[in-house]
Amino acid sequence: MSNPSRDANLTAALTALKAVARRSVVARGLQGPAEQKLLQSIVDATVTLFDAEASSIALFERDPDRLEYRVAAGEHGAGAVGLSVAPNEGIAGFVFSTGQAISISDVSADPRFDRAAAEMTGYVPRSIAAVPLFDEEGTIGVLQVLDKRGSESFSLHDMELLGVFAAQATAAISATTVQRGTARLMAHVLLHVGDGTLTAEQVDVIVSDATRELDDHADTPFWHLVDHVEALRSLGERDLTLVADILNVVARHAERAPRRR
Amino acid sequence: MSGLDLPAWSEPFTDVEGLARRMRLRGIDRDWAWGESTGAGIRVGIVDSGLEVSHPRLNGRVVQSVAVELEDGEPRVVPDDGADLYGHATACGGIILGLAPEVELVSVRVLGSDLRGKGTAFAAGLEWAIDQGIDVLNLSLSSKSEALFPIFHELVDKAYFKGIPLVSAANNVPAASYPSLFSTVISVAAHGESDPWRLYYNPSPPVEFGAWGVDVPIAWKGGGSTVATGNSFAAPHVTGMVALILAKHRGLTPFEVKSVLAAVADNPRHAPRGKAPTP
Repeated sequence: MSNPSRDANLTAALTALKAVARRSVVARGLQGPAEQKLLQSIVDATVTLFDAEASSIALFERDPDRLEYRVAAGEHGAGAVGLSVAPNEGIAGFVFSTGQAISISDVSADPRFDRAAAEMTGYVPRSIAAVPLFDEEGTIGVLQVLDKRGSESFSLHDMELLGVFAAQATAAISATTVQRGTARLMAHVLLHVGDGTLTAEQVDVIVSDATRELDDHADTPFWHLVDHVEALRSLGERDLTLVADILNVVARHAERAPRRR
Repeated sequence: MSGLDLPAWSEPFTDVEGLARRMRLRGIDRDWAWGESTGAGIRVGIVDSGLEVSHPRLNGRVVQSVAVELEDGEPRVVPDDGADLYGHATACGGIILGLAPEVELVSVRVLGSDLRGKGTAFAAGLEWAIDQGIDVLNLSLSSKSEALFPIFHELVDKAYFKGIPLVSAANNVPAASYPSLFSTVISVAAHGESDPWRLYYNPSPPVEFGAWGVDVPIAWKGGGSTVATGNSFAAPHVTGMVALILAKHRGLTPFEVKSVLAAVADNPRHAPRGKAPTP
């Protein structure tokens, strides 16, 4: 049954994929908090600039299809984080489906407004402005602002400005979508390299073996190091060069020394 | 805030003095363009979320409803049940009838529960409407999918060569979206003057026309109504005007329709060179 050439291909592919996966998880370690912070800063700025009661960003997730609220700001915003809504319902769903920015100034009169969901967040707004977040493949989420203080509705300028904020949010998000696709990428490549001899179940087992240790965000020195590197981002070029030189020396020592756990 | 680089498809229409024109097409005014016209005899296709046929604002003017369904990713056009998933199409229909009360509306629903194929469904619905020879199509939605760029390009050309004007809402997000940014489409962004007949021509494309799109009172799902803002609601105002023009001047091409719209736009007038402005 065993096919030496196929097995050698698989081993080589798996080694390469593990290397890709390792880099991508480290990238997430570096970029994840940065993405979250950036998205948070966008909704914080939105609330301040619009003098609004709340602002939030919901991103599309699959299995099951949903719009999941990732960040929120404002006096009445916090309750939304972690909630999910159906991507074809309500105002967020409408904007997600049509790709069109809209604002509604009499929300309670709009039957598409999901009062139950709003009540879950502890806040029922009077007006909403919502714009889609786009990447090159299509809509990936929605940026919303609730209740601009001192005004019953949102102006044209408000809508245009929200579009700019949405573009910023999209740039922040696109970095991590590659990471999210790592397991899918591995499975896809394995199916091809396996030349049709591997079943989907076998591929699942191999991929989960290859990614198991990567998903382990345990309190290990390695991940502390990733955190430190993330913190080093603010350093200037000279300081970074110095840190890189030190790490270079440590890495050379690590290569020479026998592996210790 | 002024330092921000706004995408601002609506920006030209916030300070209309900047739209003042030295050269204008003469001899065409609104009376010539659509005086006495009610839109009778013109079929308007609304490619959107599906018209709510029984909505009082639609006055029983919906003559056909179809929906695009996806079977294993393949689009199929089937009869629809006459409901509106969101209220968006019904809003557009209400606005069009406000200007052209005697047009017939055709509902082409391309938004459904299956979000995975929405760009494909949109393209299939648009193609169906073009093949039916519907007189003018309102597209208050857009796709960002680069993969669909060539398909929309082909469809937009097909409509143009067949003589069907496409009226498309521009997207407010600073990136390309289709079909609103193709040159033969009548692309529309919002202005904030609450007058359904107020029309501006922007000589600096991609977005060429501005119509009312801020705090517009509109028909909504479930027989209701509300007040909304968006380029989505500007486009149907222009669709209504196009229907009026076509009802009075059957056989005008999309190019000619665009020229008529530019000629009757409310842009401020510049004094001709060398002459003092009239007081």
